[in-house]
Amino acid sequence: MSAAAYPPAPVAAAPLLAVEGISLSFGGVKAVTDISFAVRSGEICSLIGPNGAGKSSLLNVINGVYRPQQGRVVYDGVASMRITPRRAARRGIARTFQNVALFKGMSVLDNVLAGRNLHVRAGWFRQVLGLRAARDEADGHRRKAEEILAFLHIQAYRDTPVGKLPYGLQKRVELARALAAEPRLLLLDEPMAGMNLEEKMDMSCFILDINRDFGTTVVLIEHDLGVVMDISDHVVVLDYGRKIADGAPAEVRDNPDVIAAYIGSAH
Amino acid sequence: MLLLSETGQFSTRYADDRRVFRLRQARLGIIALLAFSYLVVPLWASDYWLSAILIPFLVLSLAGLGLNLLTGYAGQLSLGTAAFMAVGAFAAYNFQLRVEGLPFLASFLLGGLVAAAAGVVFGLPSLRIKGFYLIVSTLAAQFLVEWALTKFGWFSNFNPSGVITAPPLSVLGVDLSSPAGRYLLTLAVVTVLFVVAVRIVRSDLGRNWMAVRDMDTAAAVIGIPVARTKLLAFAIGAFYCGVAGSLWAFAYLGTVEPHGFDLNRSFQVLFIVIIGGLGSILGNFLGAAFIVLLPLLMSNLGGSLLGGVIDPGDTENLQKILFGVLIILFLIREPEGLASLWRGLRARARVWPLRD
Repeated sequence: MSAAAYPPAPVAAAPLLAVEGISLSFGGVKAVTDISFAVRSGEICSLIGPNGAGKSSLLNVINGVYRPQQGRVVYDGVASMRITPRRAARRGIARTFQNVALFKGMSVLDNVLAGRNLHVRAGWFRQVLGLRAARDEADGHRRKAEEILAFLHIQAYRDTPVGKLPYGLQKRVELARALAAEPRLLLLDEPMAGMNLEEKMDMSCFILDINRDFGTTVVLIEHDLGVVMDISDHVVVLDYGRKIADGAPAEVRDNPDVIAAYIGSAH
Repeated sequence: MLLLSETGQFSTRYADDRRVFRLRQARLGIIALLAFSYLVVPLWASDYWLSAILIPFLVLSLAGLGLNLLTGYAGQLSLGTAAFMAVGAFAAYNFQLRVEGLPFLASFLLGGLVAAAAGVVFGLPSLRIKGFYLIVSTLAAQFLVEWALTKFGWFSNFNPSGVITAPPLSVLGVDLSSPAGRYLLTLAVVTVLFVVAVRIVRSDLGRNWMAVRDMDTAAAVIGIPVARTKLLAFAIGAFYCGVAGSLWAFAYLGTVEPHGFDLNRSFQVLFIVIIGGLGSILGNFLGAAFIVLLPLLMSNLGGSLLGGVIDPGDTENLQKILFGVLIILFLIREPEGLASLWRGLRARARVWPLRD
């Protein structure tokens, strides 16, 4: 992947997301300790670290699934103390999960349309009556959903119940559902876990395309360091719930603490 | 089977794709079925068939639909179905009694709305608890409603026996108290409410229900208001049960009494939904047909085959045993209900004589 083929999205100087001094523990177990970092608008930021480093917990704090004991999350210039998942979604934060969290009994199309629920204006009663405005609106949502299905090359599975799709495609449908919300910030929890090389390539391209075409800021968790170094503008490394490195991919790669955490240090 | 071919039928607009019956044949079929039910059945069916089989079949389909919206679509388990039916029936009766000149259909609607309010109240625990625990809390609704209707005479207009005779039915001055009239009224109400239900489950609300059912944390993360969605499911599901309860009392039994809406009725509707198919609209009819028609068929068969051999009391018990065994066997073979059987047949017919 040459830089010319993928001109990066313009990265603004101001951070879209700032995590400030977050500490989170479950009972006596400290998941995350005093973590701070900032994600600039338009960048792709990767959170990496060994298993149990607190990466997923941090994503859960950012979109309000967990409430931290200390610290705050500043999103789009507003610090929110009591953010809930729904409030986060309304403010433009969408995410995918490490274990695919799709609506298994619904078709691919219905999953993606469900992802647009925050954009639905007509109430259910007006939809049931079939008023003209409600029908036109439904057409608009369908068009948007079809655009996303086409973008991720999953139109052929439109009417398939997602439970019947193979894992790699389910990951893609979950991404489609998140994109349907037209988010400003996209949180991806191991979007490439369990994929083969080809599927990883596809997914990397989709993430780069989303970032470039829609200007969406992306925060992702990934274990494949090759992929991370290739697609990220910015890498944050966690180990045992603490931040051990934060910077451009090249800087992070040469950081002795990172090498120690991943490979072990020489004695 | 080639009759079911989709060849040459394309959806060229999103509106075409949203149609309930996308195929021309299906549309013709449903029109034929409606014409048959509205025109042929009332003329040809005997009074016994109309008032003892078809009316309860339709009313139980409607109650099944109410529970299916709540449990099959929104994923909230409930054993309060009969309680919501009772609330609907008694509310409709009291509106009839206390509001001079209120049309019957309006009192059914009001009965449904009161049941919806009760549904919201008894649905509140669903914001905190799920699954089996939720069943127990809806069970409380069942006992509380039955107790309150028996305990406070006001509900039954201080009638000493607690059993009230429902006033004769009429709509817009047309007397509908004959079996055919009651059948047509029931059929009309059921038709309208089924059409509305189909449109609800295909609206964004229906999608939100299924999202909450399949994974409520993910639903919250994509911005679905989970609490509101659950309570709306309780309200709309209970509304349907309430209207079904009014029809049960006014169009079927002709009496209003709390004990017609006991826990057994809740179980009966639950079986209809499970046998018919959770998360299916058609399944409610299929399940109700199974529950209403099969015992009848068996008792007729049993009567003619074993009439002289076995004591009538024993045949009745034998029937219940056989019925239970049939349900168990069926659920082992087809756990997703009759509707799934139907879907499978349709999928096969689509590509017949090929196999997919």
